[in-house]
Amino acid sequence: MTAALAIEQLEKRFAPGVRPAVDGVSFDVPAGEIVVLLGPSGCGKTTTLRCVAGLEHPTGGRISIGNRVVSEPKRGLLVSPRERDIGMVFQSYAVWPHMTVRQNVAYPLKYRRTGGGGDITARVNDTLELVGLGEYAERPVVSLSGGQMQRVALARSLVYRPQLLLLDEPLSNLDAKLRIRLRDELRRILKATGMTGLYVTHDQAEAVVLGDRIGVMKDGKLLQMAPPGEIYNRPADSFVANFTGASNVLLGKVLARAGDRAIIDLGVAGRIEAWTPQSLNAGDKARVALRAENVRLGERGAANVFSGRVIERRYQGMQTVYDVELGGQRLEALELGTAARHDQDREVAITLPPDTCWAYRDEGAAVD
Amino acid sequence: MEAAPPRRWGTPLWVAALLIVLAFLVIYPLMMLVFGALSDSNPVVDGFGKFRPSLHHFLEVVGNENVHLAFFNALAACGGGTVLAVMIGLSFSWIVVRTNTPFKRFIAGASMIPLFVPPLVAGVAWSILASPKTGLINTVFKWIGIDFRVDFYSMAGLIIVFGIYYAPYVYMFTASALQNMDPSLEEASEVSGASAFTTLFTVTFPLIAPAILAGSLLSFVVMLGIYGVPAALGAPANINVLTTYIFKLTAWSPPLYNTAAAVAILLMIVTAILVWAQQRILTGKSFATVAGKAFRPRSLNLGPWRWFTFGLAVVYLFVVVVLPTLALVIAAFRKFLFIKDLDALFDMRAYGWSHFNQVFDNPLTMLSIWNTLRVGVITALIGGTLAFAIGYTVNRTHVPGRKAIDLLSTIPVAIPGLVVGVAYLWAWIGLPGGLYGTIWILALAFVARFIPDTVKSLSTSFMQIHKELEEAAWICGRGLVSTIATIVLPLARPGVVASMTLLFVLAIRELGSSLFLYTSDTTVMAVLLLDYYEGGNVGKTAAFSLVQTAILAVLLGLTNWLSRGAAQGSARVG
Repeated sequence: MTAALAIEQLEKRFAPGVRPAVDGVSFDVPAGEIVVLLGPSGCGKTTTLRCVAGLEHPTGGRISIGNRVVSEPKRGLLVSPRERDIGMVFQSYAVWPHMTVRQNVAYPLKYRRTGGGGDITARVNDTLELVGLGEYAERPVVSLSGGQMQRVALARSLVYRPQLLLLDEPLSNLDAKLRIRLRDELRRILKATGMTGLYVTHDQAEAVVLGDRIGVMKDGKLLQMAPPGEIYNRPADSFVANFTGASNVLLGKVLARAGDRAIIDLGVAGRIEAWTPQSLNAGDKARVALRAENVRLGERGAANVFSGRVIERRYQGMQTVYDVELGGQRLEALELGTAARHDQDREVAITLPPDTCWAYRDEGAAVD
Repeated sequence: MEAAPPRRWGTPLWVAALLIVLAFLVIYPLMMLVFGALSDSNPVVDGFGKFRPSLHHFLEVVGNENVHLAFFNALAACGGGTVLAVMIGLSFSWIVVRTNTPFKRFIAGASMIPLFVPPLVAGVAWSILASPKTGLINTVFKWIGIDFRVDFYSMAGLIIVFGIYYAPYVYMFTASALQNMDPSLEEASEVSGASAFTTLFTVTFPLIAPAILAGSLLSFVVMLGIYGVPAALGAPANINVLTTYIFKLTAWSPPLYNTAAAVAILLMIVTAILVWAQQRILTGKSFATVAGKAFRPRSLNLGPWRWFTFGLAVVYLFVVVVLPTLALVIAAFRKFLFIKDLDALFDMRAYGWSHFNQVFDNPLTMLSIWNTLRVGVITALIGGTLAFAIGYTVNRTHVPGRKAIDLLSTIPVAIPGLVVGVAYLWAWIGLPGGLYGTIWILALAFVARFIPDTVKSLSTSFMQIHKELEEAAWICGRGLVSTIATIVLPLARPGVVASMTLLFVLAIRELGSSLFLYTSDTTVMAVLLLDYYEGGNVGKTAAFSLVQTAILAVLLGLTNWLSRGAAQGSARVG
């Protein structure tokens, strides 16, 4: 039976005095859910995962798996990895090259104190069938391809039905095509088994497909934990917005705010209406983030209509990217389709739908 | 096209010259050894008229009971020694690479010291420590009333001394394998529910099995070719191994050179098979490097147990470095080795320089030091130059015949030093006006013996010089020779200096091949030390051991400093 993971105020310092690698991270994973930790390298996502596995020893906070506390440094409590009833899939596969596929998968059943017994052969066969390696059981693992090795690793971590499955960038050593195939299959397998999962990646596409919820991390802190749709449409801060692809930034000053709506003065370009998760005050410096996909060129909508000039056009076949000048600031716009409709060095109408413009406090002006 | 005629002849001439030099250094002595083993005459001395080769003679020697005994003694001593070396080397590599044992950098460095100790010095030190009657350890046991006595003049003694001194060979292989192993392979096992102990024996050790095997084969081969340790510890108990037996045959009166040659061939065959097996393992696909990525190795937090592992390391270093050194110092400075009780040990009146005075009163002492240095320098210069020529030709050109050069220069890997000595003796003893009786025969034998190591260490530095650097010089209009002189040699200088240094050090501590090639005028330190030991004067032996060790240490430091200077010099240039 899978159970929840609870992390409270997790902290990990590798040496006293340096910035903690994980800094006050808290979140829950309800049973049966897959949570993805997303962030650039060095953000602390892997360290968090390894703390849950027990391979790193946290310096603060509490981790519970099921209803059992497995790590709480304040009380000197630390359960060893082998007694946490977890499964783990590593980036480098970590399948044992001196064993066959079957020996790899049977290994946990042979050496676990609990969960052993039963018909090992049958359980191994079932699990190999589940990951699509039914016919490879007797092969030496070194004869397999990278994708197949990762399936072996997955089977090895599923075979004993652990309470919690940890996946540490399991797809990033695979080539692009295989990565996409295995990604979709991974979701199918995890959902078929009803596993509770914690998945770490730096790839947004993976995070969106696999995660029931996504947690974005930066500098050891968890910035936002929400379902994929919310991360993509309501990013909680400018880093999340930028990391998930909202690369356009317009700088301005807050004129007024009412609830989650703000009016920003962009200077020469005029005013813009935007959504904001922050309590901006009039007069604050602000940055408005938006996706290139959400810039409507040549359209006059109901609100946020501007006039700009196409500086550069980059035709890419399936889409066209435009660099547009907007009142002295630059904006990137993306137009789908094989025909480019706007010419270089022409004035063009631009609509920026208010729901897709997100205003955040400009860090340069932030004094809190 | 104005191809200059000398150019066209240059390459084949060069290749032929290298092949002839190598044939002269390696093939000719080996052929003579084989001839010797297959007959009961020496074709050089007796003329080819009397030479009737047949397997009969060789088979007779191989069927001899004494040869069997020496053979099985050698297998037992080296086999036992290897098992012990694996246990020590593997534990050490695990302690140093995988645990948080305190001072592990120091432990790693210090545990390499045994590699530099000449085997005979080690043997002498342990005979002073653990000979059955007068051994210092037994004396101490008597003081404190323990009834137990150790006896290293035995198979057990040989095994222990072999094991503790050649553990670093195993360590070198297993430590780098552990270092290069993907830590998640072990983490996966731990997460799967296996205990640390289970993980060690089902994942870690099986994964580095190739390294363990390669390291133990190497240490076995090295032990098999060692003369000093069995000469010091086996001889008093009449335990002969192959090396000591071969020497005994040549010291017979009249010397049984043909029999010695046959036994030497036997030793060479065994060595060659093992070296071949070891090379196969090393070139085969190694498990541990499958991931081919740099890792920060896992460090196991041992808690309070880390002081236990630290203690183990200290005990090892004490046994292998401190104890023998102490024994040599006491024996060298004490006028009489008999020590009545603890007070007598610290009675300063019993100490003095008398043994050193005796050693240096012997004119042979200075002569041997002088000879050793001369042989070392000659070996380093000739060997270094030859290795450079071979290394360049094999690695940097596509001339026909380079494969043959490569093969010829690799053969000596499989020939123990003692066998090289017998072969050179056999090949040169009868030649009138020849090399026998000069220090040149020693130097040539050393060059032949160590050419594979020298070429290998030089080749590494060649590989670091990009081929384009040379091609650029050619484009600039330089010729081949001038390119080598102006581009390759300056860039490879640290490698060349390091290789010559290595050769020099190897040459001055070589005993096995010297034994057969010295004469009273050309005696070297290692041989003279054996003379002192067999003469039975423990004090003089210990004193000269210390002198030899001190000279070796000074030279090692000096050459190390020299090659470091060379490396820095080239860093400035490059």
